[in-house]
Amino acid sequence: MTRLVELSDVRKLYDGGATHPALNGVSLGIERGEFLAIMGPSGSGKSTLLNLVAGLDRPTSGRVLVDGRDLGRAGEAELARYRRSGVGFVFQFFNLLGSLTVLENVVVAAQLAGSATAAARQRARELLEQLGIANQAARYPARLSGGQQQRVAIARALINRPLLLLADEPTGALDTRSGEQVMELLVELNRGGQTVLLVTHDAKLAARYARRVVSLVDGRVADDVVLQATTASAAEVVRVRVEEVAG
Amino acid sequence: MEAAVSLKFGILGLLAEEPLHGYDVKNRFESLLGGSWEVNFGQVYMTLQRLERDGLIEADGERGDRRKLAYRLTASGRKTLDDWLSRPESEPQQLREEIYVKLLLSTRLADGRLDALLTAQRRVYLQRLKDLAELEQGARREGRNDLVLLFKGAILHTEADLKWTDACAEEIRNSNRKGVEET
Repeated sequence: MTRLVELSDVRKLYDGGATHPALNGVSLGIERGEFLAIMGPSGSGKSTLLNLVAGLDRPTSGRVLVDGRDLGRAGEAELARYRRSGVGFVFQFFNLLGSLTVLENVVVAAQLAGSATAAARQRARELLEQLGIANQAARYPARLSGGQQQRVAIARALINRPLLLLADEPTGALDTRSGEQVMELLVELNRGGQTVLLVTHDAKLAARYARRVVSLVDGRVADDVVLQATTASAAEVVRVRVEEVAG
Repeated sequence: MEAAVSLKFGILGLLAEEPLHGYDVKNRFESLLGGSWEVNFGQVYMTLQRLERDGLIEADGERGDRRKLAYRLTASGRKTLDDWLSRPESEPQQLREEIYVKLLLSTRLADGRLDALLTAQRRVYLQRLKDLAELEQGARREGRNDLVLLFKGAILHTEADLKWTDACAEEIRNSNRKGVEET
């Protein structure tokens, strides 16, 4: 089977800014079932990369293939269809609709993608259940904590069974504990086979949860590394300096 | 010189809980640090002798076989410990890892080894962040909140080191760019 995502020598220039491309020759493959983190400082090109993979933007040159689809050459209608059901988004600030209940926020994403309402409601309830917020289904987002709102956003992202779950700084607006819970959920979804692409400037987050970390600098891939599962003992990782009394 | 004295205060801290034999001191110290440091018994024994000489600890009970001798904190020892615990650290920061010197020298030699070194070093830090996160979780599961704090500290240090290697890389890119523009 081919790779789920294949970027080949992708360049992206904004406003004809030829001197400083947002992406400058990026080649990157993502396998099905991977949990990959894209890391880099602001301005490194990670948002541009995300937008290209999400079908929100097209490369200036090079190729972006997702599940065999060439997103750079796809027509607007095909691209819109891909955005609605091929990818699921989780953003830093949740982006829920305040006038809809939790359940409706999730269901509406399925309706937009053309699912029958009854089936969509059924799947939405299952997802809310799985994410531990079924009891919040009838409430409005403003009444929920940040962590709960992000779970709703994850349910919404998953409703159409996307090929790819894109999480852009998903813990950026959460306290440490809720952030960890949201990340644990993403890890669990990944264990169930969901491909996850995490975008973050936070090395700690990337290293802790992703198996593979790609670092972008100035629009190029500066590093691409697969981290090992930890087997090290405390003594192999950290040593406290303790010395005898001097004198 | 007052530079490296944590063993002294570590022992005073342990004896503040209850009188202990030298052997117990060693074991408890290792456990306190979650196995992150192996204590040499000779070092512990020598420190105990010095602390006794200075009147900070004293023998608890009969002075028989010295290997079985238990020590307890004296009033003076308690005061020394309390003073130390409440005093912030103001020693110069210690950058002990060799990478600091390697990078400084590599920037001067500028023979192309630097990029590879920076990348390799970054990977070490990323892997360390993963390992430390796992250890922190483990300590949390075991209810060792003191060790959680130790690992959190190590994580913050590693993040700082990672940022530093990135800053080095950026500095070098910028000076290369400038060099190209000037020629």
